[in-house]
Amino acid sequence: MDFIFVGFIEAFSLLLGGDDQTWSAVAATIKASSGSMVASLILGVPLGFTLGYFDFPAKRQARLLVDTALALPTVFIGLVVYAFISKRGPLGEMGLLFTLPGIAIGQTILALPVVIALSATAVESMDRHLRTLLISLGANRRQLLLSSLWEVRYGVLAAGLTAYGRVMTEVGISMMVGGNIKWHTRTITTAIALETGKGMFATGIALGLVLIAIAFGVNVCLSFLRKK
Amino acid sequence: MPPPTYRIENLVHRYNNQPVLAVDRLEIEPASIVGLVGPNGGGKSTLLKLMAFILRPTEGTILFNGAPAAPFDESVRFRVTLLTQDPYLMKRTVFNNIAYGLKVRGDQEDWTQAVHAALTMVGLDPNIFSRRQWNELSGGEAQRVALAARLVLKPRVLLLDEPTASVDAASSELIRAAALGARSEWGTTLAIASHDREWLYDVCDEVLHLFKGKPAGTGRSNMIFGPWIPEDNGRYAKLLGNGGRMTVSAPPNADATAFIDPAAIRILGKGETASSTDSVSVHGTITRLSLEKRRGDLFADVRVGPLTLVVRVVESHLAAMTLHRGWPVTIAYRPENIRWR
Repeated sequence: MDFIFVGFIEAFSLLLGGDDQTWSAVAATIKASSGSMVASLILGVPLGFTLGYFDFPAKRQARLLVDTALALPTVFIGLVVYAFISKRGPLGEMGLLFTLPGIAIGQTILALPVVIALSATAVESMDRHLRTLLISLGANRRQLLLSSLWEVRYGVLAAGLTAYGRVMTEVGISMMVGGNIKWHTRTITTAIALETGKGMFATGIALGLVLIAIAFGVNVCLSFLRKK
Repeated sequence: MPPPTYRIENLVHRYNNQPVLAVDRLEIEPASIVGLVGPNGGGKSTLLKLMAFILRPTEGTILFNGAPAAPFDESVRFRVTLLTQDPYLMKRTVFNNIAYGLKVRGDQEDWTQAVHAALTMVGLDPNIFSRRQWNELSGGEAQRVALAARLVLKPRVLLLDEPTASVDAASSELIRAAALGARSEWGTTLAIASHDREWLYDVCDEVLHLFKGKPAGTGRSNMIFGPWIPEDNGRYAKLLGNGGRMTVSAPPNADATAFIDPAAIRILGKGETASSTDSVSVHGTITRLSLEKRRGDLFADVRVGPLTLVVRVVESHLAAMTLHRGWPVTIAYRPENIRWR
């Protein structure tokens, strides 16, 4: 049991001492996950709103597709993205393999169904009187959509947060598409997997603590926003 | 002469191909107050939503100020507003809820002054309430804030769908006063759906009955629901629970609804018996006397078992008898005068 306790002590010294390898993995994780979250929110929120708000043919089938995509294994996404961006793939010319943008593309595919499905659920649970209220107060079509979206902002925030949690903690995409290259594409999760394999628990625990700290920080921000 | 505020022609509305409302013709004059009464599911809320241009009618036309109008048209935005029974507020402060309409209108005037005036109109202190969140209000306060959000727009038409159904007596009184204040202050046309018939009869220029999605007459009317039990003499009766019965001519079916005009019922004087023309009489108690606004007719509400029947009191009878609340009376009517729906 001592090695776990010692691991925690060493973890704090690595973090507080500014260990370059540790902070490089933290930076790579934040860059890739931020890129994927921006893309998945830009694409996912309008799609989720459309899926939850409007009635259209094949809506149930679209919902089924999105719900199924929630369970996509990260290694499968990694495999597909790898196939597309490898030299032989259709996007091979773009040189995205073993880069952070490559990881971000895979993580966007991972986060998108979460954002769409949870945003759609939030919109579906919107009070049926809201539409009547907004039109009664003179909202035009654009204002109706924007105000409806604003009313479900906490649900959309929760969707983003859930997706962020999934993106931050995935290993498969980062490992397969990023290649776990030191100083370059090594993320927190791939570093934890590697260091644990090497028996370097201190680094693994240190990086795990960073992950928890990031999750805590995001929740604090969300809580602050809810009070506003 | 200005066109009517509403002219509704050959209106039919369906939900999932099921007809829920059919109005052949209805006109509502500017600055008038129109009441809508009828049982739940009668089409009142649907008619108000169509008049608010929230729904588009399946068939027919609704002319607003003489011109056809549809949801989101500039001719109706900010002019027509609907207050529903449930006081739904947006997840923001009271101030922002009320100012929303001014904001979407792009109004440049001082919002604070307008919001405070609207809150005052519904009897809420602006200094206390304007900064409160939507979830820091009681049901009655929320309904008054919802009304203030409409009043701040100074609407040409204010449609109220059972605005006092779920609030306490004090809030109810303030909501009624504020709604009528809009008419007196800005000449707002009001259409009010309510189960409180007496209030509607007191304040409305016209009261329209809606039953099973169709207009079933105007003014005071008695609506008596089945079931109707066949009797030996070929007639039918509604059992009143106290051993009494209300006899009618043959209904079209056992669950049909009977309509009888208050003028077709008369109160018998002391010692008077039902004449051959009034073949049916029942005993009841006067619960209310009221004066009709437009024609000055006097009406008595007579409690007969679980029913309350409205009876028009003719002047000759009034002189011959004394009528008070709680007074036992006998009323008589001819079953042939009953209309069926």
